[in-house]
Amino acid sequence: MIETLYVIFVSILKTALYFGILLLHVAYATYAERKVIGHIQLRLGPMVVGPHGILQPIADVVKLIFKEDIIPSNVDKRVFAIAPIISLTAALSTFAVIPVDKNFVISDMSVGLLYVLGIAGVGTYGIIFGGWASNSKYAFLGGLRSAAQMISYEVALAMSLVGVVLMAESFNLSEIVNKQNELWYGMFLFPQILGYFVFIVAALAETNRLPFDLPEAETELVAGYFVEYSGIRFSFYYLAEYLAMFSMSALAAICFWGGWTAPPVLIKIFPILSLIPGIVWFLLKVYFHIFLFFWLRGTLPRYRYDQLMAIGWKVLIPLALFNIVITSLIKYYQ
Amino acid sequence: MKVKEILTKILLIEIFKGLALTLKMLFSKSVTVQYPFEKRNIHEGFRGRHALVRDPISGDDKCIGCMRCTTVCPSRCIHIKREKRENKMVVIDYIIDASRCVYCAYCVEACPVCALVLTEDYEYSSYERKGLIFNKEKLLKNWDEFSAKWPADYYFNKFWQPPGIDPSRWPKTKREQGPVPLKRGVEIKREVKNEQLPS
Repeated sequence: MIETLYVIFVSILKTALYFGILLLHVAYATYAERKVIGHIQLRLGPMVVGPHGILQPIADVVKLIFKEDIIPSNVDKRVFAIAPIISLTAALSTFAVIPVDKNFVISDMSVGLLYVLGIAGVGTYGIIFGGWASNSKYAFLGGLRSAAQMISYEVALAMSLVGVVLMAESFNLSEIVNKQNELWYGMFLFPQILGYFVFIVAALAETNRLPFDLPEAETELVAGYFVEYSGIRFSFYYLAEYLAMFSMSALAAICFWGGWTAPPVLIKIFPILSLIPGIVWFLLKVYFHIFLFFWLRGTLPRYRYDQLMAIGWKVLIPLALFNIVITSLIKYYQ
Repeated sequence: MKVKEILTKILLIEIFKGLALTLKMLFSKSVTVQYPFEKRNIHEGFRGRHALVRDPISGDDKCIGCMRCTTVCPSRCIHIKREKRENKMVVIDYIIDASRCVYCAYCVEACPVCALVLTEDYEYSSYERKGLIFNKEKLLKNWDEFSAKWPADYYFNKFWQPPGIDPSRWPKTKREQGPVPLKRGVEIKREVKNEQLPS
């Protein structure tokens, strides 16, 4: 009995710590994005709230919470209310299996990778429901586009990770990291470079980021599936989008960059690096991917819808399949 | 050539070029001027808020009520109220509707006595329309505010004189128009000099 209580207590503590830090990261990701995009366009970004606008996310959160929550009269009220919560819950529960350090993971599931992919699929429901329930043409089109995009890119995303699973011989994310650390360069990035490329492109599409942000294309659909949302519900969708970005970055860091471990060859050359805690390595890798998302947003224009579908089905999926075949052959004849 | 094209397409050379450019821009200096905190220098000949020059001797404006400014104004925003008193025209009020003004400065060019000027102030927005309709009192106050800020003793702006026309064809007063003194002491010295000239 005591033991069970202890386990529950530790889990709750872990979850609170994990999600507290995670939400802080999300808040400051919005700030970082505005700063990075601003400087790319030779602007300054937020500068007024606090020194260099450092308190901007807090001001944004306060504004979003105190804004009026408008529910249009013709919406399907129940679905309208549930949709952002589905989206946010799905985005948050992804992190339950993502290990940030050695032995620091909320739930060390044996099929962690499958769980992440499955939950990412559930998140799509929030978007489709939101688009449908809003009873608006913009939202409806955004929701439809999102559904089509996510379904076609989820295939590529999952297939790009099959190569990693084949090499690690496990679906457990901690196990995948440990397996990478056995290699002298400590990453699956080099043997799985093709898979990594497919993963990054598919992750961009999966999280609705530019250059594949067709579901919320500002110039044509205003804001896509969350046009009708305001206040705290809008912020749920916003949070879900950034959380998805973080989960994809974390997945990339774990599956291709060796998670919380540093490359063994680096540690052999500079033994002092082994003193750095694992979470620092992990966060560095995640931040790099987050920056990559912002950087790509600042560089590339949006693709046309047929181009998006063509890239998904005609380029990424064949590439991922090719990658699986090559990896299997190498694994078989090793 | 064709192999090269295919290679650039496969290796995403164009996208990497774009990424390199944005990375370079990320670390270069931004062009933003944070306006309320830092201000850009105003160019010479800037046409800003209207003002009536306060004559340092009489303490009043110099307007003689010749109506040239009202006539030349393309947006018809200058209204002069004048009255005949003791066989003499007296300007009672001088009203400029700054919300309709197009800042062409024709009125300043036309003014023979240099009574009306456009100063270099530009921060005079108002929450109501009334605040942008300047009467004589307000216009004189504008001048005081501007002259308090101006660092030099005299103020002269090149757009006060009609451009593109030979100076010999200007009115005499326009040709002789000099920098406007801003401070009382300076003006008195000049007046003495002017009186000496004809004698």
